Amino acid sequence: MALSFEAILQVLLSGLLMGLIYALVASGLSLIFGLMDVVNFAHGEFLMVAMYLMFGLVTVTGLDPLLLWPVVTACLFLLGSGVYLGIIRYTMRAKTNRGMVQVFTTFGLGLILMGLAQSLLSPDYRSIGHTWISGKSVSVAGIYMPLPQLVGGVASVAAFVLIWLMITRTDFGKALEATREDAGAVALVGIDKNLIFTLGWGFGGALSGLAGSILATFFYIYPSVGSSFLLTAFVTVALGGFGSVYGALAAGIIIGLVEATTAVILTPALKSLGVFTVYLAVVVLRPRGLFGSS
Amino acid sequence: MLEVSGLTTAYQGMVAISDVSFSVKQGEILTIAGANGAGKSTLLKTIAGMERSQSGTISFEGARINGRTAHEITARGIAFVPENRRLFPRLTVQDNLSLGSFLFRNRPDRDAPLDIIFELFPILKARLNQLAVTLSGGEQQMLAIGRALMARPRLLMLDEPSQGIMPKLVAQIFEAIKIIRRSDVTILLVEQHLVKSLEIADSTIVLQTGRVVLRGSAAEIRNHPDIQSAYLGV
Ligand SMILES: Nc1ncnc2c1ncn2[C@@H]1O[C@H](COP(=O)(O)OP(=O)(O)OP(=O)(O)O)[C@@H](O)[C@H]1O
Ligand SMILES: [Mg+2]
Repeated sequence: MALSFEAILQVLLSGLLMGLIYALVASGLSLIFGLMDVVNFAHGEFLMVAMYLMFGLVTVTGLDPLLLWPVVTACLFLLGSGVYLGIIRYTMRAKTNRGMVQVFTTFGLGLILMGLAQSLLSPDYRSIGHTWISGKSVSVAGIYMPLPQLVGGVASVAAFVLIWLMITRTDFGKALEATREDAGAVALVGIDKNLIFTLGWGFGGALSGLAGSILATFFYIYPSVGSSFLLTAFVTVALGGFGSVYGALAAGIIIGLVEATTAVILTPALKSLGVFTVYLAVVVLRPRGLFGSS
Repeated sequence: MLEVSGLTTAYQGMVAISDVSFSVKQGEILTIAGANGAGKSTLLKTIAGMERSQSGTISFEGARINGRTAHEITARGIAFVPENRRLFPRLTVQDNLSLGSFLFRNRPDRDAPLDIIFELFPILKARLNQLAVTLSGGEQQMLAIGRALMARPRLLMLDEPSQGIMPKLVAQIFEAIKIIRRSDVTILLVEQHLVKSLEIADSTIVLQTGRVVLRGSAAEIRNHPDIQSAYLGV
């Protein structure tokens, strides 16, 4: 199969853009896991809620999705911190099998959210019709980039830069790092670990809010849309290293690239084959993932 | 400044300290002695809010603090250096210290205690960009004390700061404790090196299976016959 240089670049670029969005979806999952060793199985449903919220807001207000990104992101921050305060906080008190309690709790929450979407909003596929950036594209040197994906990729990079600045430059970021290291010790310096957990879940939610906002502009919206992304997110988190937010960025990009290349070399229906092959190779060769600590 | 009365703490029904009462005046050093498992650490952890008391009261500067959460107690001016130090191992020395002043983060003079900390423990200045986990045991203890001082405590609680540390560094740490108390910081010191701890203590309590079995000024304890035979090997 002879591909032109432009065609190869084209494949890699669309893989990169999709990968940046996978990274964004995975980052919230990894943030929460790194902070408190809890895997949020409802993370995909957070994404679904964000997409429906965007759909609803666009329908009701008539505003362009771009303007509503901050609103959806803020709402998902509230959802994330609310889930911690209302539910997860109590699972931390389990004396036995806390890990299992948390798996069932977040998994159950995901099922409930999906069920609610199915019964209240119907299982129909929806999409946000015309927006400022939909259907448009940018073309540079013969490479063609759909604008929604391009804007999404740029937003994802911006989000990672913001996370990095927050972690390295702010007192909250240091408090977050300290809580990841030893949640039981932060009280010694006057930090309330519950507040950090609440904010951590808030940011985890906000990241899926941003990812959902981006996806809602070019992806179908349906009640189980979260689960398809969640699986990729798990692979991303495992590949990048559990708990490493920067690892999620690297792994997301790798997965996007591998997926796009596999789709071209084999067939689009088998695009996940390459991803899982890479994943299995990493599990065998480097079980803690690319950036995970041992 | 600190009054403890009738304090009892249990782990899953097993009493670790029972009916412990004592008080410390501002600027004094009280040492807590006792064999392994006597309940010394439990006593400090209960005051710090890291364990819950079953009964009794702890009052600090006139206000009852038991039942408050550990971070609130730190914010009230009690800094605790636990026996396993609980540093943030994969953060730098610098980050550990600046986390110590988290409560003062919005004040322009948040780093003010650094001068005295570097004077007490010059090695920390040379290690600022190293991860805490790479420090030697003695250096880690110094960092833990430094981190506690960054929170500008009025009561400093140290749990066996000499444990597992070479004698030269132990001397340096005891010297530092003397200097710290000169700035009117009250100190509770758990110390198995009874001889050493008596040298700097104003008063001492001795715990045995969770109860106070002896109390008095350092001089009284030093001359007490039980102590002479049991601890001082006289
Ligand atoms: N987390 C815990 N869970 C259950 N029991 C505990 C716990 N911590 C301490 N204990 C028990 O409480 C009692 C007092 O322990 P504590 O650690 O306070 O003693 P200590 O005087 O500090 O001893 P050491 O000199 O060895 O440090 C011991 O019998 C100990 O086994
Ligand atoms: Mg102890």
